[in-house]
Amino acid sequence: MRTGIFFCQVEENNRLNVAAVAKYAANLPNVETVQELGIQPRLDAKDLAGLVHSGNLERIVIAGDMPGYFKPVFTKAMALAGHDPLEVRLASFREHGASGSTTLERAKAIVACAAFGVPFALAVVPGEKPVQPTTLIIGAGIAGIQAALEIADAGKPVCLVERFGTIGGHMAMFDKTFPTLDCSACILTPKMVSVAQHEMIRLLTNSEVIALGGSPGSYRVQIKCKARMVDVDACVACNICSEVCPVEVASEFDAGIARRKAVYIPFPQAVPNAYLVDAENCLYVQSAGKKCGACVKKCPKECIDLIQKDEIIEIEVGNIIIATGYDVLRADNIEHYGYGILPNVLTALEFERLTNASGPTGGKIVTKSLKLNKRTKQEEWIFDANGPAPKSVAIIHCVGSRDQNYNSYCSRVCCMYSLKFAHLVKEKLPGADCYEFYIDMRAFGKGYEEFFERIKHEGTFVIRGRTAAISELNGQMMVTGEDIIQDKLIQFPVDMVLLAVGLIPAHGTEELSRMLGLTRDEDGWFSELNYNGRPTDTEKGCIYVAGMCQSPKDIPDAVAQASAVAAGVLSSISSGKGIGHRGSVTLSEIEARAKSLQAK
Amino acid sequence: MAIRVNPKIIDDLEGYGAEDVHLCYHCGNCSAVCPHADEFNVFPRRPMRYLQMGLERKLETSLEPWLCYYCGQCSDQCPRGAEPGETMMSLRRWLISRYDITGIARLFFKSTKVELAAVIIVALLTGIFFLGFGFWQGDINVYDGSNAFLPSSFIHNFDLALGFLVALFIGLSAFRFWWFSMGGKSAVPIPWWLYIKKVYLLPWHFFTQKRFADCEKETTRRIYLPWLAHLGLMLGYVTMLFIVMVFVKQLQAGPEINWSVHVFGYLASLGLLIGAVYMLRGRLKKNRTQYQRSHGSDWIFLVLLFIIALTGVTQHILHRSGLLLAANIVYIVHLMVVVPWLLRMPFTKWAHMFLRPLGMYFSAVRNEALARQKSGIETTVQARKVA
Repeated sequence: MRTGIFFCQVEENNRLNVAAVAKYAANLPNVETVQELGIQPRLDAKDLAGLVHSGNLERIVIAGDMPGYFKPVFTKAMALAGHDPLEVRLASFREHGASGSTTLERAKAIVACAAFGVPFALAVVPGEKPVQPTTLIIGAGIAGIQAALEIADAGKPVCLVERFGTIGGHMAMFDKTFPTLDCSACILTPKMVSVAQHEMIRLLTNSEVIALGGSPGSYRVQIKCKARMVDVDACVACNICSEVCPVEVASEFDAGIARRKAVYIPFPQAVPNAYLVDAENCLYVQSAGKKCGACVKKCPKECIDLIQKDEIIEIEVGNIIIATGYDVLRADNIEHYGYGILPNVLTALEFERLTNASGPTGGKIVTKSLKLNKRTKQEEWIFDANGPAPKSVAIIHCVGSRDQNYNSYCSRVCCMYSLKFAHLVKEKLPGADCYEFYIDMRAFGKGYEEFFERIKHEGTFVIRGRTAAISELNGQMMVTGEDIIQDKLIQFPVDMVLLAVGLIPAHGTEELSRMLGLTRDEDGWFSELNYNGRPTDTEKGCIYVAGMCQSPKDIPDAVAQASAVAAGVLSSISSGKGIGHRGSVTLSEIEARAKSLQAK
Repeated sequence: MAIRVNPKIIDDLEGYGAEDVHLCYHCGNCSAVCPHADEFNVFPRRPMRYLQMGLERKLETSLEPWLCYYCGQCSDQCPRGAEPGETMMSLRRWLISRYDITGIARLFFKSTKVELAAVIIVALLTGIFFLGFGFWQGDINVYDGSNAFLPSSFIHNFDLALGFLVALFIGLSAFRFWWFSMGGKSAVPIPWWLYIKKVYLLPWHFFTQKRFADCEKETTRRIYLPWLAHLGLMLGYVTMLFIVMVFVKQLQAGPEINWSVHVFGYLASLGLLIGAVYMLRGRLKKNRTQYQRSHGSDWIFLVLLFIIALTGVTQHILHRSGLLLAANIVYIVHLMVVVPWLLRMPFTKWAHMFLRPLGMYFSAVRNEALARQKSGIETTVQARKVA
């Protein structure tokens, strides 16, 4: 077939040398003409039809990052010239992953496949490798837990690695889920317990993956199991060690609004349900055994061993699932919201813990009160269950999201959890005024819009307009903003401000991506192989992504993606054929395969 | 009521410098941070909205752009990079061209090349005219007194004629400004006595630019430097204009006059030079948000002003030190810059000197009228409720 190849770009792409690809394309068999039309060319169907006619082109290939953008005009041109309009083929660099180190070769292969008229996915078949049955899951939040249970329930061994002392991730910190207002723990804790009790799941908490070797289907993974210093099997979680421990630090699980000891259990339902020692803050460990050691003496089960060392284990796994999740953006970077300066400006996670029945106030929503810290002899703002309840609460959406100064992307869950907060405030403090400041209400999921309507009916004031500043006037917090709908400036006093902070990839994501050789998108989230078609696969064979680490998503989506990954993993284990690295397929291999497919 | 929409206005404004208005998603952050936005003038978001919707007439009648001194806080915090501050600046340019009936302002703002060409042509014509005039009636080696190359009485009359022309066009622009915002095109009825009640604001804003000082409440520095530079430049300029227009004959009476009479001139020159250098430096270094983007007209404005101040000072020094030939040559150069500068005054950035205080005065009048209207409505409602 006489083929014409047209390079059209929608926007500039500095990573790809289009001229080199065009030069390569000109030497492909049956290629009559290759034209570089540049960025956003103004195309006229009649002119193109003339071109098709003069070159007697039977097939047109549009090559570019988003060639579909130009397809209509080329189809029309083919029809005008009296040729088959179905023979307009797309060579989409973005869709087929021409990025990273193999950009140029990959782009050439994509163009070649389109010119041969062979779907790219058929021509690129990474080698089929034998697969080890064990699956490694990095991160034991809801996505990791879900994937682990799915795979383990199918009878395949799973190794679940979690950096923190307990599994559960962020979902364990939440009070309610939106939009159903289910108790978060009621959904999660049974799953956590199942993980702990499952005979096919090897649970490694307080551990991190530190090195990766091997190849798809049989990876060798080194895992550093940090010293827990408490015997998980012997510990009965009696809390005596915590009572005697003299060290107090901010509790990670309580998002910093409560304090914990150096020997602690993150929360009462933790899995494994055993205490652990925070070596960085333990006096005994830091002084190399010269100080303290009180917990060892007091422990009735004698299960604390403060001289336990970190251990590095190596396991062999077939598939790897990454479910490392997210962190919240640091709100103190955003000066005009006064986080960290004004005591009653809280981030979403802090409020989530405050309103949680297992939180420091037992679920009572109160403002911070000034208390004397006996140890440091300084007054501190802390949450006290008997503190004053706020009379008015402002919830500010899009804090650090959709903002070119911070995250340009939408974090997707903030609108809905903010609405949930409004409901919780109204539920627990019916007399309090609640204000939602939003830019656009993104209630996109099943039942979400209805939830929004419900919140409005509950008496929450929903104000369209971003708050510009939170200031303090004579000890009273003031929010300043513009009410866009009413077209007026507003400033009024509030007692508590909740910042719906945006989400960022979990810390350590960068090192992990480097270790596994995975690419990340410009915002730092792991890149999936294909956004639409293969949202859980990655460039690397037998490595998958699930949950938040791929992009911000809500719990149902994270769970769905985790189950999808489990299906992929199970199919590769049961067929015994793992997928190799896609980048490893060379241009000549793709060409040869495309040619043979074309011949058929 | 039908509303006329001009969907092209947002593209049109690109030529005036506002390139990113379309990015705005109306979060209202800019209006909320603006220290000058008030109950009746919610900006910069409202004008941005008008632009996106193509409400040309609403923009024409709006006073908001004149209330902005461009401190840049809105642009700094804008989550979309829509540059609300720059949009307000561009709207001021656009409004100047709207008030101007000749169409020259539009031409100049749209094309810096045209403006530059016009400046150069007028400068050359001026140079030729004054050289010819000088050689025809005087001696290039004589600066003042009889047989002077450029006699001060002639310069004085020339200044007055030029000043009259400029005042005419500025007056016309000012009238159209009033007509658009307060008069025929305005929807708010304004009692005449409010104009008198608020008239003190005109000299107040003109001479103090107090609102600019309120622009940024910097805690580190007590005085807001851009305000000081702006005020110095403007006061120097006004003083110099006044001296030249009124006293040029007295001040150039001859070499024997007392130094002390020049004290105002010296202060004014200092203000001009320091102000111009501060702003030029700022625009070159882009060290503040308001200096990030410079329109061609900004550069022409500052560079010409700087040359005027520099040549003015130089010719004075040369004259005083007895280098009369050199003084005359520099004087010619000075006039070559001054004449185009004065002639383009009503059509360029310079017009904001009068239009901005006028806008603030109008705004105060209109705000009060609106407040009265609002309270009037409220009392009627209350009266009805009572009845």
